[in-house]
Amino acid sequence: MTAVTSTPARSEAGAWRAMLPQLAPFLGILAVAMILPFVSNDYWALIGTRAAIYWVLVSGLNLVVGFAGHLAIGYVALLTLGAYTTSVLVAGNVMPPVPVFAALPIAGAVGAVFGVIVGLPALRLRTFYFAMSTLGFATIVTQIALAWQSVTGGGIGIVGPEFPAPFNTAWGYYYLCVGFAAFCTWMSANVAHSRFGRALIAVRDAEVAAEATGISKPRMLIAIFLFAGSLAAVAGGLFASLQTYITPDAFTFDLSILFFIAILIGGRGSILGPMLGTIILTILPEIAAPLAAWSTFLYAVLLLVIVLVMPGGIAALLDFRNRRPLASNRAIVPRPTALGGVLQVRAANRTLCLRGLALSFGNVRAIDGLDLDVRPGQIHGLIGPNGSGKTTTLNVISGYYAAKAGTMTLGEDVLPPGMPALRAYSGIARTFQTPRVIGEASVLQNVMIGGTIEGQATFVEALLALPRHRRDEHRLAAKARALLGVVGLEMLADVRADRLQHSELRFIEIARALMLEPDFLLLDEPAAGLSSDEIERLAALIKAISKRGTGVLLVEHHADLIFDICDQVTVLNLGRTLAAGTPAEIRVHKEVVSAYLGA
Amino acid sequence: MLASILASGLAAGAIYALVGVTYNTMFSTSRVMSFTAGQLAMLGGVFGSMFMLKMGMPIIVGFLLTLVGCALIGVITEFVAVRPVLKSLDQHLYVLSTLALALMIQQVAAIEWGTEPQPFPRLIGWGSGIWDEKFWLPVVACAITILGLEYLYRRTLVGRAFLAIAEDNFAARALGLPERNLRVASYALAGIIGGVAGFSGGQLLLAFFANGALLNFYGFVPVALGGLGNNRGAIIGGLALGLFQQAANFLVGGIFSSVAVFTLFIVVLLAAPQGLFGAATARRV
Amino acid sequence: MLTSAPEPLLAVAALESGYGKIRVLHGIDFAVSPGEVVALLGPNGAGKTTMLRALSGLLPVNAGHVRFGGRDITNATPREAARAGLVHVIEGHRVFTQISVTDNLLLAGYDLPRGERAARVEEALSFFPEIAEKRHERGGALSGGQQQMLTVAQGLVRRPRLLMLDEPSAGLSPVLVDRVLNVVAQLRSQGTAVLLVEQLLEKALAAADRVYALVQGHIVLEAPTSEANLPQRIERAYFGHESHVTASS
Repeated sequence: MTAVTSTPARSEAGAWRAMLPQLAPFLGILAVAMILPFVSNDYWALIGTRAAIYWVLVSGLNLVVGFAGHLAIGYVALLTLGAYTTSVLVAGNVMPPVPVFAALPIAGAVGAVFGVIVGLPALRLRTFYFAMSTLGFATIVTQIALAWQSVTGGGIGIVGPEFPAPFNTAWGYYYLCVGFAAFCTWMSANVAHSRFGRALIAVRDAEVAAEATGISKPRMLIAIFLFAGSLAAVAGGLFASLQTYITPDAFTFDLSILFFIAILIGGRGSILGPMLGTIILTILPEIAAPLAAWSTFLYAVLLLVIVLVMPGGIAALLDFRNRRPLASNRAIVPRPTALGGVLQVRAANRTLCLRGLALSFGNVRAIDGLDLDVRPGQIHGLIGPNGSGKTTTLNVISGYYAAKAGTMTLGEDVLPPGMPALRAYSGIARTFQTPRVIGEASVLQNVMIGGTIEGQATFVEALLALPRHRRDEHRLAAKARALLGVVGLEMLADVRADRLQHSELRFIEIARALMLEPDFLLLDEPAAGLSSDEIERLAALIKAISKRGTGVLLVEHHADLIFDICDQVTVLNLGRTLAAGTPAEIRVHKEVVSAYLGA
Repeated sequence: MLASILASGLAAGAIYALVGVTYNTMFSTSRVMSFTAGQLAMLGGVFGSMFMLKMGMPIIVGFLLTLVGCALIGVITEFVAVRPVLKSLDQHLYVLSTLALALMIQQVAAIEWGTEPQPFPRLIGWGSGIWDEKFWLPVVACAITILGLEYLYRRTLVGRAFLAIAEDNFAARALGLPERNLRVASYALAGIIGGVAGFSGGQLLLAFFANGALLNFYGFVPVALGGLGNNRGAIIGGLALGLFQQAANFLVGGIFSSVAVFTLFIVVLLAAPQGLFGAATARRV
Repeated sequence: MLTSAPEPLLAVAALESGYGKIRVLHGIDFAVSPGEVVALLGPNGAGKTTMLRALSGLLPVNAGHVRFGGRDITNATPREAARAGLVHVIEGHRVFTQISVTDNLLLAGYDLPRGERAARVEEALSFFPEIAEKRHERGGALSGGQQQMLTVAQGLVRRPRLLMLDEPSAGLSPVLVDRVLNVVAQLRSQGTAVLLVEQLLEKALAAADRVYALVQGHIVLEAPTSEANLPQRIERAYFGHESHVTASS
């Protein structure tokens, strides 16, 4: 277990009080929902029920569209599936009738499976193509519902399931659906505030960096598709009951668009925003009769306005905390000495060895037979003119490119080529030439992403906020705060990362990389764009990191930094080692100087 | 039987192919896949029927006005849904903005024009049976459009400027090419191509607002199969799709034929995400 | 010295530019006079390419200004800059591979009146007979060196007053490098100014009248190439010290 420095232990009451501003809007909406029956009539019961049912679907879809960033426009397919499955099971067309409260979970399971089927193309297809494929699924499901007359009743339709008392009255059913909606809100909020939610956003906005921290995109997505699919199917069952009788016509493309647009006007990465979006879009056509005919047109106009004017949606409008101005002359003051309290000393017994590495891009030999050793506790500099292969070497070590020849070993173990998501498990972390940070997430969340694979709770435990998940979150947050203290950015922990300056982003990447307590740290031009003060502080920080036993491979253009802190330097030119040795030797090496000046 | 499958398949396929070319034309100068491609073809039919039947104009005038209208919608797409999002780093926004615009176009057509399919007049009056005008007109229109585009790209400076921008936008800008104007022009051109598709296919598909969504999908399949930006692939893919669809229609009936098409589409995409003739994607890191 | 020197063709003052949040150039002062060849040297990452892009309008200028031929062209588009006579040949021999050599050159003359285009293309080709004989071949069929020559020819179609070349020697054999630098000398003799970004120190010093050294976004050296000890002074500016290499010719 790692020690945690300087973060005061929070009492339970204190934690609740801190969360209240976040919880308040949800509690408010729930309160309004509860008293609705006492202030209005049956018609609004219908509208309220419909909004609640839509939200059951949208709360799951939100994780797919808003968090994972996959534009599943055709999700009405799963609503249709769930509606027909529940209705058929309850009506007893295929097998003996099943009670409705058993049919719903069965529909949920079917929906989970189909959620994965509909969603899996996202792993292979680009944005627009995936969107089109979901539309294809939506049409297939509707056509099958039309054609499979013996089971679904074809164009004539089928009776929707009935619920037993007290849920068979308008308000009884309303409260049931509100209950479902509240439960789904709670679950999806749990996912959003877990390492899974953060990992989804990481894959959406900074996929390359997410891989470097060990996040496996397929596993994350499959979990989400299962969850969203089952929620959508359950919503379908509830919808069928609301409609009392369903035909394929009830599941229009317009409905699919409503779900989708609700999430986007609500804002990505938010729970509250899409919830408000769903409520608004459901109520909108009811406010005035002419609006009903133009409702889809209005949704489209809203979407266009949001995309052009406020891509962050309602969530961005409500984000008051990030409107507070930041101090304009902030300095980054790392505390390298605090590192000892956060990171353990590494075992320091394995060397990272590259032998005979070769890689070509077309005709160009990017790396042409490279030997390199990075010893634990040492700082190894890698320099060379443009096009010499420095960053490519880092990318091969990280696994983004598979070398055509040569080996990479970490102690006794061979590093498998071309598998970047495994490097974090091997204890290798890195930063990037241009900071790859999630602009929409806070600084703290960005750093916590670095420790994703250290979490022990499973997806289901996170979904239901079980104790192991809460322990994970405490630990990750505490460690992230401690590391932010080490790099000197703890004051900005809750600020959105895209408000930060370039140099601050570089230090955030370092804090993120340190979350894993790596055995080896690969730094790709960390000093680019930094002022000379910041470079000095960066140097002290890197030295402290290497003293803890981490081996550092530093790619840089800043000759001063290299000669100042490196124990060993390798100079690359045209993919080959031009010279290797101590900084003092390299500095006066004839060929190195000529390579830089171009003789 | 075979003859009728061929006739209807090639005709539908030609329309799908032209919508695919519409997608490609918009994509090549902006790197944006626009949801308005199918809507432009729908407008080709709707405008045509409106000008010629409702307003009683002669065929040539109706045709030209239809093309003007569609070109205008193409330009509006560029201004409203493409240019503003090109500046932002979030590439996915163009899917949303063009989707929004396409929905708006579709809804206005539904509300103003009506939700029932309206007839489209006979234009020239040659042929009947499997040689009926509604079968050969789209094919002829497709051929003429392709020839026109070949001429544009090979013989005119503007066409070569389009090719330059499509290949290397940055180098084209550095060279001093008026990249913004050329992009607007290519969207107008895409509008015209879509209009031709809808106008020539008007008798086959009728003037129906729901054609937009239908053609969005069926016109996208040739692009997915043939590779983005590849017009020849789109033509082959479109004709193949048309034939496949009509054959399935005949053999297993209407509903299952669309299931067959969609399933085939998804399977092909998963097997070859860049299309059967497409190029590889750029490096990620 | 004359009491009032004529205004330079290109005058840059306090220029700051970069990519998004990353600031690369920190207050550059710079000038090129009519008909002179200026070399811009510097190690990688110094900002040389960034500077050319900021001048021609490919990158936004965040502070400072750029005057060309007496007019302020700060943040003008590349098209406007080219019309004014400031032509930028970007690095990487990026030609349009799907169209012919002649078409590549015709596109460079897109803004010219149609009648003049053909004549200007011939004029540009006259500098590079090697590609003149390949005028009907596709851009993609040329070798790397020929493509580089084609990009320079594209720049010449506009008859620039100041031609900016970004690393024209990159990836070229020594023979071809000399070819390109000969063209620079030809341009100089006919009164065209040239701003040459180069990695090859010796060749650049041989071709230029004046040299600037750019390190980490700052100009650290400015001198006429006739001055003694330039190679050592530049090396010192790059590395902060002197190595034991003797200056070879």
